Amino acid sequence: MNLSSVAATTVAQLKMMFRRRITIFWSLVFPMILMTLLGLLFGRSIDAGTITVIDQAETAQSRQVVGILEHTKGLTVKTQPDDPSAAEKQVRDGDRDGVLVISQPSSGGPVTAQLFFSNASATQAGIIRGIVSGAVDKAAVLATGSPPAIRFEARSVDSSSLSYIDFLLPGIIALAIMISAVIGLATVLVDWRKRGILRRLKLTPMPLGEFFVSRIAASLVLATLQVVVLIVFGAVAFGIEISATAWAAIPVALAGALCFLAMGFCIGSLTSEPETADAVTNVITNPMMFLSGTFFPVAAMPAFVQQIAKILPLYYMANGLRDTIVRGLGLVHVLPDIGILLAVTAAFAVVSMRTFRWE
Amino acid sequence: MTADPAIAVSRLTKRYGSFVAVDGVTFDVRRGEAFGILGPNGAGKTTTLEMIEGLRRPDGGEVRVLGRPVWPNPQHVQELIGVQLQSTSLFDKLTATELLVLFARFYNRTDGGERASQALHLVGLEGKADAYPADMSGGQQQRLAIALALVHDPPVVFLDEPTTGLDPQARRNLWDVIRRVNQDGGKTVVLTTHYLEEAETLCERVAIMDSARIIALDTPAGLIASLAADARVSCTIDGEERLLYAADPQAAVTELLEQARRDGSTVENLSVRGPTLEDVFLKLTGREFRE
Repeated sequence: MNLSSVAATTVAQLKMMFRRRITIFWSLVFPMILMTLLGLLFGRSIDAGTITVIDQAETAQSRQVVGILEHTKGLTVKTQPDDPSAAEKQVRDGDRDGVLVISQPSSGGPVTAQLFFSNASATQAGIIRGIVSGAVDKAAVLATGSPPAIRFEARSVDSSSLSYIDFLLPGIIALAIMISAVIGLATVLVDWRKRGILRRLKLTPMPLGEFFVSRIAASLVLATLQVVVLIVFGAVAFGIEISATAWAAIPVALAGALCFLAMGFCIGSLTSEPETADAVTNVITNPMMFLSGTFFPVAAMPAFVQQIAKILPLYYMANGLRDTIVRGLGLVHVLPDIGILLAVTAAFAVVSMRTFRWE
Repeated sequence: MTADPAIAVSRLTKRYGSFVAVDGVTFDVRRGEAFGILGPNGAGKTTTLEMIEGLRRPDGGEVRVLGRPVWPNPQHVQELIGVQLQSTSLFDKLTATELLVLFARFYNRTDGGERASQALHLVGLEGKADAYPADMSGGQQQRLAIALALVHDPPVVFLDEPTTGLDPQARRNLWDVIRRVNQDGGKTVVLTTHYLEEAETLCERVAIMDSARIIALDTPAGLIASLAADARVSCTIDGEERLLYAADPQAAVTELLEQARRDGSTVENLSVRGPTLEDVFLKLTGREFRE
């Protein structure tokens, strides 16, 4: 192989890639948009809602309840309107999630806290009930002046205590690399064949193999760029804490990119029209995207889906990227993922070489 | 120096199943010559060219370029030949200069910049050095394809239907380019065409191909002389089309008109013109040449 010629051709390939705006869009802009959307939809702590509190009792305990509610994260507390029936109407109209009326019955007896809520949103109603009853109980305990007999603690059980956005970033990077790599070779190969470019190249002394090596090299440069840019994006835009082991994401990304380039080469060799190549690409990559734990943990899926995930290369790339970028695990830990990706690459490469056609 | 011809083709044959695309074709192309292969679509011109270029393996026969056999190792002649293929489009996100430098690289030439400007100059595309192929006209794209064929300065250049699909003005411009490549550039040029006029004006010798065989090979003037006719006389007599080739046009036309007067027939659309390659094709095949 003539290395200086391959290097020069790789530079030309990079020019061709980056001068195509659609490449930049799919490889970098689209992943950022997707991450932002999914992050906004699922990433934040749930908004507890807005309630109106009308404290007619104005005792020490009732003020305590109001104070606890006002300090509850995610809950917005209003004190207007102070007329219970007007406040109730707001709940019925959906303008408030609940109204709490604390009153001292004229007949004497204990102060009552009455919560009016709408069942229109069962989830919201449940959250509000939980928060208010918790606040009332806490105020009651505080009133006794003695420490609570039982201390309550809540812990999240999802994987290694990653927040959703931490989980999402490596998945998005894996997805972006997959899309760029498969499209970067499948459609392009069909297009070059169809337009006679491969035929023209065959007439030059450069072996077609070297030409494809330069294309793959350019794609690996792109994959590296994707990892770096998207990690920086995650850190800056979402404040994701990046592990010190994140550098080991690059070998994972390169192995993943090689795997999907080989898949793209297979698709490009087996199809004759760009449209067919695109369709086959979509049929393969779209289900893989959802089944491989890129957006949601595989552990949260039914058992048979988990089994499917484990035969998909994207699962191993997403896993390896997650381990290195946000879980703080080093290169040694992800070597099995890299090994699996390279084995799949080899399988696709064999099929590609058997089926490759220049015309 | 050996006296090997630029190209020696002998009994070249290509079959696709039972269909014979090229059937025992034999010819030589002299060094420095502009040689044309003329024929209707499907005659086997492109297949013949592709076997000479080393793209398609012949089923029989032999091809040599400057004395070197093309098969079984076509890479041995790649340095010697430059090729413009029929309907090749180019990488559309590289400029003309970048494409030329890249192709020069494929031939291990590192002085691509200089070669690029020379090739662009030869085809008259200096003004488009930094343009993308997509922003060029059809004629300019063809000229760029020819420049790419010239970038490693090969002694032999193949042009496969270089003017197909071009408007008349662009075609004439491209003819000038081809003449420059042949005469100023001193290159042997082999071109295929299905335009009779193109073969007649550009080529020193023309091989006429039809149904997988070469049916005539000579200079355009020699081919026309083989008709032994100074004129092609055509007319309609009583609604019936007549065509005749006459060694003595004056006598032929006079006789035709007198005969018509004696018979009381009406002569319409009388035309007399010098014969062209079209007439040679008609005479050889009994069919009209359709462009």
